Amino acid sequence: MTKTIDLLQGTLEILILKSISLGPQHGYGILQRIQQISQGRLEIPQGSFYVALYRMEHKGLVEGEWGESENNRRAKFYRLTAAGRKQLKHETGKWSEMTTVVGSILNATSEAL
Amino acid sequence: MSLAAALRSWWRSLIHRDQTDRDVADELRFHIEQRAQHLIDSGIPPADAIREAQLEMGRPDVQKEIYRSAIGLRPFYEIGGDLRGAIRSLYRNPFVSIAAVVSLALGIGATSAMFNVIYSTVLNPFPYRDTDRIVNPSLIDEKQPLLPTWFALEPAQYDEFVKARSIDSVLGFLLRPQTDTGNDYPEEVSVAFVTPNMNDFLGVSTLLGRGMRRSDDAQNVVVLNYKYWQRRFGGDSSVIGRTLSLDHEPMTIIGVMPQRFSFTETVGNVDCYIPWTASRAPALLPWIKLKPGVTPAAADADFLPYLLRFQQQTPMHFPKQFRVDVQPITAPYLHRTGHTLALLFVSVLFLLLIGCANCSVLLLARGEARQHELSIRSAMGAGRLRLIRQLLVESLTIAFAGAVAGTALSLWLAKVPLRLMHNLFPQEAVIQINWPVLGFSITTALLIGILFGLAPALRFSRPEIAQMIQSRARTFTASGGRSLNLLIAAQITLTCILLSVAAAAFAGFRHLTSMKLGYDPHNVGFIGLTLKPDPTKNHQAYARYIEQLADTITSVPGVVSAGILSSGIPPSQPFGGLGLPASFDILGQKPAEPPHALVQLVSPSYFDTLRISLLQGRLWTPDEDRRGDFVAVVNQTFVDRYGTGQTVLGQQVRTDALKNDGRPASITSPESDGWRQIIGVVADSRNDGLERPTAPAIYVPYTAFMWDHAQIFFRSTTAPESLDRPLRLALHKFNSEQVSGNEVGTLDGALSVQTVWVQQHMFSVLCSFFGGLALALSLFGIASTVLFTAERRKNELGIRLALGAPRRHIVWTVMRTLLPTIIASVLLGMAFNLGFRNVLKHWMPAGVTTSWLSAWASVLLLLPSVVACLIPAVRAAYTDPLETLRND
Repeated sequence: MTKTIDLLQGTLEILILKSISLGPQHGYGILQRIQQISQGRLEIPQGSFYVALYRMEHKGLVEGEWGESENNRRAKFYRLTAAGRKQLKHETGKWSEMTTVVGSILNATSEAL
Repeated sequence: MSLAAALRSWWRSLIHRDQTDRDVADELRFHIEQRAQHLIDSGIPPADAIREAQLEMGRPDVQKEIYRSAIGLRPFYEIGGDLRGAIRSLYRNPFVSIAAVVSLALGIGATSAMFNVIYSTVLNPFPYRDTDRIVNPSLIDEKQPLLPTWFALEPAQYDEFVKARSIDSVLGFLLRPQTDTGNDYPEEVSVAFVTPNMNDFLGVSTLLGRGMRRSDDAQNVVVLNYKYWQRRFGGDSSVIGRTLSLDHEPMTIIGVMPQRFSFTETVGNVDCYIPWTASRAPALLPWIKLKPGVTPAAADADFLPYLLRFQQQTPMHFPKQFRVDVQPITAPYLHRTGHTLALLFVSVLFLLLIGCANCSVLLLARGEARQHELSIRSAMGAGRLRLIRQLLVESLTIAFAGAVAGTALSLWLAKVPLRLMHNLFPQEAVIQINWPVLGFSITTALLIGILFGLAPALRFSRPEIAQMIQSRARTFTASGGRSLNLLIAAQITLTCILLSVAAAAFAGFRHLTSMKLGYDPHNVGFIGLTLKPDPTKNHQAYARYIEQLADTITSVPGVVSAGILSSGIPPSQPFGGLGLPASFDILGQKPAEPPHALVQLVSPSYFDTLRISLLQGRLWTPDEDRRGDFVAVVNQTFVDRYGTGQTVLGQQVRTDALKNDGRPASITSPESDGWRQIIGVVADSRNDGLERPTAPAIYVPYTAFMWDHAQIFFRSTTAPESLDRPLRLALHKFNSEQVSGNEVGTLDGALSVQTVWVQQHMFSVLCSFFGGLALALSLFGIASTVLFTAERRKNELGIRLALGAPRRHIVWTVMRTLLPTIIASVLLGMAFNLGFRNVLKHWMPAGVTTSWLSAWASVLLLLPSVVACLIPAVRAAYTDPLETLRND
């Protein structure tokens, strides 16, 4: 198992948004999807995952609807709302800008000054 | 963030609470199952897998909490928990809770009752549309600036005036008596001739039939006042379409106004409303509805040029020098009752504060007993804010329980001032539950809940855990004692002030009722009679006719005697031109200042009827009475003031007040303003209201000055009102055309509607009630404080007793904690009373505010306070010390 990375403050929401944007999914599925894509390198505490999910639903970024899971169980499926899609786009833009800036600072050498 | 989504999730969570909880549980269970399946698939035994999955998720009962805090509703649920806790804890201490709620209910009840009275009598008494924009046509006469007068407009002036820029619309009206000629006997009906926009202007619709319309202009239609409809038609609802004959002219009844409606009561009581025409009434008083946003000052400036022009045209309608001062229609009532209401409102606020202090005392006492519980909570990790919140929720629960009981109480209580003082408030004012009053009660409850809850909350939110865990508190904590003493001091000081106000009110009323009136009002009634102007009758014929009317009344069985007084009703100052003291001359004297006296028009039997005794000389004979000239009688005050050093009898006086003023209805004797000899002196009787001393008076025969109205006073063997019908029938028999006034009045009745009498009556009733309540609350506060102190110190007291301390020493030890506070605050209260004496005098003009009275009030407070201290102290001294020590 590779070493896990602590989740940066405030990034959980964007990960959930991204994960749902790949297709409607239930809570467990969203979590699975994130861990799959990160290849198990991200450790997400389940308690805070659901707090974040519920808060996003409260804010109207995602919308939950009860349906049937792949193994015929009752499960709540989440999908993005228009506001959620907008938020994802906005946050993604912000994130890549941030990584570019932070990355360029971290890669800077004394000659570049 | 989307507001709709937030509201949706709150709604779901609050209203479908069980469903939401179930959904959250289902979702998380699904998660655990999936996770367990995943673990089983990766080769972990099923039992371990399930355990592992459950452990990862955490405790199931926290799940609801997770959801609630995620959507921001957690504090809400916590407060709900606090509330349940509060109700449980109130239930556990029923005595304390009931006492606290009752203390507050009395305070809040009295306060919202007074607010309700102020709101419904001064702020919003009228059932009209746009009341705040309707103003009286008031002017200030520069000569008599204290009393605003109203101006009347002639038809042409009216048409011009309504075009003024600041005017939205005008309702014109004039009151004139007419005669109901369609009944058994002719009866006077008070008619308001109104412009036909009445119903529209006031925005009041009729109870029956329809209101007046513009098309009714000059038509023979009439709208009835509710009271008149009840009196004349017995509330018959088939009255619409029938006719009412007024001065032999048939009027079709088109509507009946609702019960509350009594428009123009500021001018006089009205029986019915008839469309105005120039031939029916010569002029109009305007009620003006200003355009929205126009201030009275702007309206004053706008109206002035119009009114100056009108003054040139009709100088009779305007004072010589005036300025315009339009006032809201509530202004006269505010002027009349403002001080009274202010004083009563301050009193109830004091009462509320006393109630609050009582609650604080009780909560402090109970909090002390709850230290243990609070320290456990604190030890388990409850933060200070959390504890403060819990304690405040408790006090707010008490406050709201008090507010609910208080509001219910206030509905009844608010009617008391209206009943005691009905003629000073607008008749249209009704007490009912309304939003402003409810809002006031809720705000009050919230404020005082925080006010009385704050001291205990701040004090107990920081429990001394270490001490609590070691043992129960044995020592008297100084800070608790200090805040208790402060609360008791505040209570007693306020009570001292309230009691002194009550004493002043009560003594003032006693003074009024025991006042020597100088006449005997009991069983004396009076009736107003309208005289038909008849140009063929001369002075003698008029005089004879009035005499015959008086004789007719005397002849009615049950009537002992009857006399005439045309100028006013005792004890008030007579109204009209003869109402004000008039200047007069004494033959042979030329004083620097012209002397003034009230001129009263009476028949000699008037003195007998009112039992005013003759002190010197004689009264005039029936012949002199008919002639009207050459004689006069004066009262004792006249002698005291103007009879300096010489006998008054035989002196000659004359006054211009008796000169014929040229009005069509005035009939005077040939030499009414000539010299008159003073032939007698009668005892003083109140003639200038109750609040002022008797004014010097000159009595002259009523035939000296007559007009189209006479007033006959009669003494009867039974209640004068019961003679109403026999009197009217006798008068009708004497002359079928004779019209009698609206109703038979009584002198006792006239006395009880005197403003000062009514005010002082109300003060004495309400202030005594408030003072009594305040005293009861304070005594309760004192007793519970002493009880609580003794309870806390019972170990110490037990040891003292066991060591042989005498019981009186224990009594003294317990009482000593509060006695200095009580004495100091009574002294403080007395100092306040002395300091505020002038303020009180201003607010309660007829109150008696001597230092002695204030001292008595203090004794009245001090004695029961000491007893309230003594009883629990004695109780503490007589408990068995062994019992106490064994229990611990």
